[in-house]
Formats: sequence, C-alpha cells, structure tokens
Amino acid sequence: MPDLQKLYDAVLEGDQKTAVAVTQEALAAGCAPMELITKYMVPAMDEVGRRFECEEYFVPELLLSARAMKGSLVLLRPLLAESGVQPAGRVAIGTVKGDLHDIGKNLVASLLEGGGFEVIDLGADVAPEKFISAVKERGANIVALSALLTVTMPAMRTTIDALKQAGVRDQVKVMVGGAPVTPQFATEIGADGYSDNASAAVGLARSFVRPE
Amino acid sequence: MQAARKRLLDTLSHRTPDRIPIDFGGSAVTGVHVSCVAALRDHFGLERRPVMVHEPYQMLGLIEDDLRVAMGLDVTGVFPRKTMFGFANTLWREWDFRGLTVLVSNEFRTTVEPSGDILIYPEGDLSAPPSGRMPLGSAFFDTIVRQPEIVENELNAEDNCEEFSLIEDEDLAHFKSSAETAQASGCGVLATFGGTAFGDIALVPAPFLKNPKGIRDIAEWYMSTASRQDYVHKIFERQCEVGIANLARIHAAIGDAVDAVFLCGTDFGTQTSQFCSVKTLRNLWFPYYKAVNDWVHANTTWKCFKHSCGSVEKFLETFIEAGFDIINPVQCSAAGMDPKSLKSKYGDRLVFWGGGVDTQKTLPFGTPEQVRGEVLGRCEVFGTGGGFVFDSIHNIQAGTPVENIVAMLNAVHEFNGVTIYA
Ligand code: B12
Repeated sequence: MPDLQKLYDAVLEGDQKTAVAVTQEALAAGCAPMELITKYMVPAMDEVGRRFECEEYFVPELLLSARAMKGSLVLLRPLLAESGVQPAGRVAIGTVKGDLHDIGKNLVASLLEGGGFEVIDLGADVAPEKFISAVKERGANIVALSALLTVTMPAMRTTIDALKQAGVRDQVKVMVGGAPVTPQFATEIGADGYSDNASAAVGLARSFVRPE
Repeated sequence: MQAARKRLLDTLSHRTPDRIPIDFGGSAVTGVHVSCVAALRDHFGLERRPVMVHEPYQMLGLIEDDLRVAMGLDVTGVFPRKTMFGFANTLWREWDFRGLTVLVSNEFRTTVEPSGDILIYPEGDLSAPPSGRMPLGSAFFDTIVRQPEIVENELNAEDNCEEFSLIEDEDLAHFKSSAETAQASGCGVLATFGGTAFGDIALVPAPFLKNPKGIRDIAEWYMSTASRQDYVHKIFERQCEVGIANLARIHAAIGDAVDAVFLCGTDFGTQTSQFCSVKTLRNLWFPYYKAVNDWVHANTTWKCFKHSCGSVEKFLETFIEAGFDIINPVQCSAAGMDPKSLKSKYGDRLVFWGGGVDTQKTLPFGTPEQVRGEVLGRCEVFGTGGGFVFDSIHNIQAGTPVENIVAMLNAVHEFNGVTIYA
C-alpha cells in the first residue's frame, strides 16, 4: 500500500509526476478511486485555495497544483464513470463573449474540479449558445461566467437572458465573477451567486447543490 | 507659462510645474482606441480624415499634432519601428474596421473567418499561422497562443530568446528620426524602445514571430516563474545583456532627446492581489531591473518608466529600490491602491503617471459630472509638489463616451487654470 499522504503533498506542492505515480500505485494496490479523491485530493485543493486566499500561494502555484490534480484525475475519472459515481455537480464554465482573460476562470475551473465537480470548460470568448448547449446536451446544472473587462460585463447579462429564452434558466444556477464584477451587478443581472475569488467559488457551487 | 517639455521635466524631477502635464498617446499603455481618437477629432472639429492605427494589437489610434493641441497634451511618443505583429508601419492604406474607415500599414494583413472573427498574420505573412484574432464584436486583437509541445528535459532557454537580438541599423535610424520629430514638437517625450520587458505576459506568446519556440503559453509561462526559475533566469540574463547593449546603441544615436523610457510592461497585479510574492519579485526580476535602470541612470538623463496594472502597492518599495522613477497606470480601483496613501508613502520618490480617472467604472459608465469630480479629486491628491503626469488608468477603451473623455480633459484644464480654446 503506497503512502497516500504523498498524494495530498504532491497536489499541494504542484508535483504532477509524483501525483500521477502515487495514483497509479494506489490503484494497483486496489484503493477506491473515490476515496483518493475525497480523502486526499479534495482536501489538498481546499488547502491550496486557502493558501491562495491568504497570499501564501499565487497564480503560478495554484496552476501547478491544478495540473498535478488533473494528472491524477485523468486516471481516476474513467473508473468513476464505470462505477457510476456521480460528481458533486456539473459546471459549464467560460469567459464571456469578447473577453480573452482566462487566468481567473481557469483557476476557478481547477478548484471546482478539485472540489469534486465535473467541469465543462468552454474556454474564453464564449458565445451564449455554447452555454445553452452545455446545459441541454451535456447536462450542466451550474453555469459559471467570468468577465474581466467592463466592455464584456454586459455579455453576462446577455448570456443569462439567452438561458431564459432557451427555457433552461430554471434548470441551472448561475454564478459570476472576475475583477470588475460586483455583488450588486450580479444581483442586477439575475445571477444566483457571486464570489471574488476561486476558493469561495467552490463554496458557492457547493451551496447550490446542497439539498435544501 | 512653461513649455510642455519643461513642464514634464519638472514633474519628473519632483519640482512643482506650472501645471500638471497630460499624456494621451505617448505609449501603448497610455493610448486611445482608434474609434475614440476618431470621435475626438470630430468633437474638436478637426479635419475629417481616417485615423492611423499605429498599434494594431490594441488598435490604438495615432494622436497627431492638431489633435494633441486641441486636447491640450504635453507628451508625445517615440515608438519602435515594428508593431506587436512584427511588421513596420509603412505605406498607410485605408481599411474598413467594422464600419469605421481607418489607416493601417500596408503589411497589416488579415483574413475573415466564417464566424466573422478577423485573423492577423505575423510580419504580414499570410502563409504563416495567424498570431492574432479579433472576435466578432470585439474592438482589438487577442494573441493566438502557438505553443509547441513541451518536452521537459529538452527545454532550451535559447528558444525563448529569438526576439532578443541587437537592433538593426534601420531601427536605429527610425529611433533617431522619431526622436528628432518628437523633440521638435516641444512636448515632453516618452520613448518605447522594446526588449526590456522581462516576461510581459502580452509578449510571451510572441505575436510578432512566425514560429515561436520555447514557452509561449500563458499558464505554462506563469507556472515556469515558480517551477522553472533557472530557465527563466537564463532568458532574463540574455534579455538584460542584449537590452542594455541596445539602449547603449540607441543612446549613442539620440542622446538625451527623450525624457522617459517605458522599459517594462509586465503586469504584477490582479484586482485584489499579486501574481507572485515580494520574495519572488526580488529573486527573479529585481536583479535585471536594477541592471537596466542602473545603466540608464549612469549613462543618460532618461527617467525609467514601469507599467503594472492591478494591486501593486506591496511592490512599489522594490520598484523604487530597483531604480524605477515612474509608475503607471496606478490602478486606484485595485486593492491597496488608495491615491492618498500612495502619494504620502511614495510621492517623493515615485512619479505617478496615471491614476487620473478610473476606467473600470467612472470613465466608461459615469456621467460627465462624475468624471469631473473624480478628476479634480485625483489632481488635488497626486498633483501636489509635482510627480504627477495626468493620464487615465490605462488606455482609453473602445466604447468610452466622447463626452466623458472631454469632461476628463476639461477637468484637468480647469484644475490647471487653463483655457484651451478661448
Ligand atoms: C493578466 C491581464 C491581461 C492578460 C490576459 C491573459 C489571459 N489569458 O488571461 C493580457 C496581457 C493578454 C491582457 C490583455 C488585455 N487587458 Co488585461 N489585465 C490583466 C490583469 C493584469 C490581471 C488579470 C488576471 O489574470 N488576474 C488574475 C486572476 C487570478 O484574477 P481574476 O481574473 O480577477 O479572477 C479571480 C476572481 O475575479 C474570481 N473569478 C474570476 N472569474 C470568476 C468566475 C466565477 C463564476 C467566479 C465565482 C469567480 C471568478 O476568481 C479568480 C481567482 O481568485 C488585469 C488587472 C486587474 N486589475 O485585474 C488587466 C485588466 C483586466 N485588462 C484590462 C485591459 C483593458 C486589457 C486589454 C483591453 C488591453 C489594454 N490593456 O488596453 C487587453 C484585452 C484582452 C481581451 N481581449 O480580453 C483592464 C480592464 C479595464 C476595463 N475597463 O475593463 C485591466 C483591469 C487592467 C487595467 N488596469 O485597466 N490583460
């Protein structure tokens, strides 16, 4: 049995090679994939988020941890699907139309993935139709929108309106964020939630899927 | 009344000038979107002619002498011969920029995708993969990342140094003639020579190169600043060596014809935090910044201009120690960037070139009256004792109402006690 604490450390320290190696060993030794995720990877990514929030970690460290986690998830995901384990929720995330700033969006996507969500990353400069098809065809139940430019903030409203027009607004929770976005703006455009950092975004998404 | 250049020089030396100097168009970080330049020309009733897009990446419009006078500006720019897409601004021709006729370089070559997105090509070479994309509905280009597959143990820092080479005689001749023209205008001169940015994330994808090698992806670059510091040091070492050699050649050609040099546009700030710790800044960037700035101070009268968006208050002490004289764009809307405390803590050692008005809320969305109020307030705080060049926080973006731009200019003139057009 490999020392699974090493998986936690590898994710926390952004060491993809070790994360992958320990995951392989653990699977060979018969560990349950879900246990690796919930007991080691999710807590590690939570800690990464915490360090980011209190400025012990910065964008580069967060990206490295996310990459380590993803390396391991690539091995685990097919096994989860086989065993019918459901993700915490399915998030369609993207930077809205006309905006290419995607660093913040990528961090949010990674922490959500680390938090046990399935993430459909639509990229940057994403048209409303793409969010709609992610909901309709891929069953996303959370839509996460990022915008960094004042000129692209209105595209968040357009996207929410398009979800309404397509008749899928009630099937999803919408959360928004990015440097110029404020809680007031989020309310104004009819979003369900806002956060100003990636780690709180995970808490927000968890609150959406928690049974009431 | 002082001449514009004297006004800037006093300001940069922390002496009280007769009035606050104003810069719009002096650099690619203090510029104005071509659509706004066109609107300003109309507003001031200047000759109707297409505006030159002198910086195609952000689609910045050239502010010509007539508009500079109408706006009451004190600074003009010297720019590199080649643009962000690697071609020179030669032989202007008309281009229909989504309904607005503008002038672009003959080597500004584009194709249109079925989606309506516009693609632009490095060095104007349509046979090379495109290096920029302007999405439908957008007003400027985004770089297209062309990242060759990374094989960790085959990474060679040389590959990231293709763009750092000794400048050609043609470039030198260009700097010489531009500096002469700039000086003849009587304005203060802000020069951009290029080559000393050290990891500016807008330049990492190298939109000016046909086939960039090395680390060109944005996330990959950021990760490298933590996990491949030796590699990054090697790039910076080379860049620093070549950069200083080029500055020496340029200085030999133009002397002290320019007043400030925009040396580095690497953004260290986010809205609420920084891209790295002070420790990393000091370890990875500081030695190179210091070497370049020390060279400039030892050999020229130029002042060193640093641009960084976002929340960078925690970095200002290090920037000063590294020899920077000027900070831009002073993003007061970001965490810790309160004008009063910035001025009182750093005002005697650092020139604030920017911070004149917020561009995330006030300038694009405020009323002209709100713009006036904010501008007067900022002039009051930053203007005391010199050390303030008026400029909005970063370029004036497409879609900014011209009434607000005019309200901003009028407010600075009001503060300065100047009647521009009687
Ligand atoms: C890096 C950067 C760039 C890079 C982008 C690279 C990339 N691929 O993303 C480059 C250099 C290419 C760039 C280009 C431009 N930029 Co820029 N850029 C920045 C900068 C410095 C940092 C942004 C960033 O990455 N922050 C780090 C991340 C981690 O933070 P974040 O994005 O805010 O995300 C966090 C939270 O907001 C939240 N969050 C984000 N998304 C979401 C989504 C959800 C659902 C939730 C819940 C939370 C959430 O969590 C994240 C992590 O904690 C900002 C400065 C600033 N104040 O933010 C300017 C800034 C955003 N840029 C700006 C501008 C104007 C531009 C340009 C137009 C060029 C120009 N300067 O004129 C171009 C346009 C490009 C385009 N088409 O979009 C302006 C916008 C001003 C305005 N009026 O809107 C800013 C504010 C700079 C300034 N001082 O004016 N930029």
